[in-house]
Amino acid sequence: MHKISTRQIYFFLAAIAPVGKIMLMPTQLAFFSKNDLLFPAVMNYFLQAGAVFLALLFASKNRTFYDALADTVGKAAAKIIVCLLALFFLYASILPLLEQKLYVQKTLYDTLPSPVTFFPFFLLSAYLCAKPIASLGRLWDILLPVSVVGYAGIMALSVSNADFGALMPVGISGAEGIFGGFAYSLSWFFDSALILALAGKFEYRKGMAWKGMLFYLAGGAAIVFFLAVFYGVYSDIALQQTFAFSEISKYFSGITVLGRIDYFFSFALVFVILFYGSLPLHAGVECVCNAFGDKRYLRIVLSVVVNVGLLVCVYLLNFKLYVTLQTVTKMLFWIFPVFCVLLPALCLLLKRRKHETAA
Amino acid sequence: MKQPRKFLKSLPMKLYILLAAILTIVFFSNDFGLVDIQKTAVILAAGVDRTENGFHLTAQIGKPKGSDRSSCGTASVDVEGDGETISDCITEIYSKTGWVPKLIFCDLVLVGEDTAKEEVMGALGYFLRTEYMPDSCSVAVCKGTARDMLKSVSAIEDTTSAALGKLFSDAAKKSGKVMKQSLKKFAVDYYGASESSYLPYITSEPQDCGGESGGSEGPSSSNGGAAGSTGSAGGAGGGEESKPDKKIFKAEQTALFSKGKMTALLDSDQTFTFSLLKGNVEAGSFAVEDHGEPVTVSVLKNKGGADLKVENKPQVTLSVSVKVLLFDRGVPSPVEDLAKKELSKDAVEKSKQLLQEQITKLWNTCVEADCDLFHLTRSLYRSSPKKYAEWKELLLSTADLTVKATVESMQ
Repeated sequence: MHKISTRQIYFFLAAIAPVGKIMLMPTQLAFFSKNDLLFPAVMNYFLQAGAVFLALLFASKNRTFYDALADTVGKAAAKIIVCLLALFFLYASILPLLEQKLYVQKTLYDTLPSPVTFFPFFLLSAYLCAKPIASLGRLWDILLPVSVVGYAGIMALSVSNADFGALMPVGISGAEGIFGGFAYSLSWFFDSALILALAGKFEYRKGMAWKGMLFYLAGGAAIVFFLAVFYGVYSDIALQQTFAFSEISKYFSGITVLGRIDYFFSFALVFVILFYGSLPLHAGVECVCNAFGDKRYLRIVLSVVVNVGLLVCVYLLNFKLYVTLQTVTKMLFWIFPVFCVLLPALCLLLKRRKHETAA
Repeated sequence: MKQPRKFLKSLPMKLYILLAAILTIVFFSNDFGLVDIQKTAVILAAGVDRTENGFHLTAQIGKPKGSDRSSCGTASVDVEGDGETISDCITEIYSKTGWVPKLIFCDLVLVGEDTAKEEVMGALGYFLRTEYMPDSCSVAVCKGTARDMLKSVSAIEDTTSAALGKLFSDAAKKSGKVMKQSLKKFAVDYYGASESSYLPYITSEPQDCGGESGGSEGPSSSNGGAAGSTGSAGGAGGGEESKPDKKIFKAEQTALFSKGKMTALLDSDQTFTFSLLKGNVEAGSFAVEDHGEPVTVSVLKNKGGADLKVENKPQVTLSVSVKVLLFDRGVPSPVEDLAKKELSKDAVEKSKQLLQEQITKLWNTCVEADCDLFHLTRSLYRSSPKKYAEWKELLLSTADLTVKATVESMQ
């Protein structure tokens, strides 16, 4: 069976996963933590890096999440738990989907477009979900340079306009602001759960757990720097900027002569986010397929059902975007640490295979 | 048996392609929210004035000149709207003209003087709020009302907005004569700890253009009635009708703002000094005396800054450092002097004194206007929130000022 290579997992952790956090998360953090927005981001990154370490450690057994569960709690209970995880992935996919939809609406159109404009996303997503998750590896190889170029370009054009003094005084938003920002940005951190879904689909190499964690933290450092530049550019009005990454670079002096060349880099990042947004859906389909036998028809049917379901959901929530975002990020944020921190930790308690125990 | 099996195997892909085709047809059957260009009002500049009931918005809208080859440039028409909010004014413009107003190309927001004195953020809030307006656009205050300013006729450009836009070029900024301000920067200052900012102050004066010689055939924005519009509208030229006075615009003064209200006006010398303190000047010049004769000094390089120290009492240091060359004399000079551009010691000393005087004058104006132009309160807030809480109300009025001016003549 074709598997994702170690290199591709590192690419995902360092360059693909961080890009999913640059759309609305900076604004959310600026809203709650103001100039202390780096602290909740760092706290979340360390927490999630630990969870990624645990998930990779679990993956070292080269078993899928379902197989490991079935050995411990039995097949029926394992199927229920895996279905719950799949449901979580569907829930986790709402935020990146709505972010993208909002981005399309607000940035690419100057009037409120019909929801139909976002629907082609589901064509791509359905196609991706119908493919085995191991096929993602090649995609990450392609997306890595796109992500790096997009990020570097945006940063190069923005950093000269940033007043890093705006991040002072440190700690002024207090524990409430910092922990509020931490809690209400948890919804953007589900990468460890994605690694759990990938367990058994890639060859574990010695030291991969801590190396993966370091790659994840490297990506996190890039995002923390992005947040610093974002707040440096917008200072006290940062919380009013909806899509930071496509805005911060437009004050570069050369733009007046060259035009909006920053769009080239913004769209590179949007391209990466497009695939990142479909990842939770893909992971959900993969989990169910693992549990119920990896049949081609099942995968296709699930892929269509999930994507059509979400398409309907996005259509129905067309004018309730902010309420939905509030619900996911503020009211039900606690679901994320349950599946993304607690679950990888509990996975280490799962039984080993019989021959592993004997050895 | 093989045929049906083969068919069933390829069925999902066929269904997928069918679904993709249906969605593609649905996708391309919508209009993508695009508005026909014929029904679009591309706003080039917006002028805001307060009225008894809210706001009066004057939108200068770009207009195609069609096949008129005898003139060049951009034509415009001024359309006006009233409402309790700026958004209401925009809606009124829409309902009057049938054009969908678009702010995406709006590079200038002009605020009338009285509006600025009352409260400016109420007028600018809409432009900051809307996603479809670049917050990098220039903002300025004008003498009188923004309506009159936008509806006046430029002597140098087809549209007033283009003429005003030229005042805020990078070259103008480097000359130190104009303090350009963007909407974003103004908002950052307003919502920051200092709650103080500045905007360029635009004035106009009549210009006798004499006879027209080629180029533009006069204003494209002329006063004439437009159906459903309270403002002026019209095409190019006005025939033999009496033409309005052509004007030139200046932005050599700077309006100071404290807590969103215009509280003082810097004259052109103070504006230049402010530019020097910001370190903006790279090709500016100023006049001094050299042994009693007038000379013009060119600034080649400039550094400036404001420093705050709070121990027992706030100590403010405003410093300017300029590297200069002799640019011109108001009297005949020997040929050696023409070749030599070095400034005499007397002129250097006079320049230094002049800068010190101007900086002190600028500081006093800021103190009187309660405008923290150099964001000293913000610096204090960032360095020590405790001291900020102690001094924020009294910082400007109690601070001791030290002025450091360095003038270095280059050869």
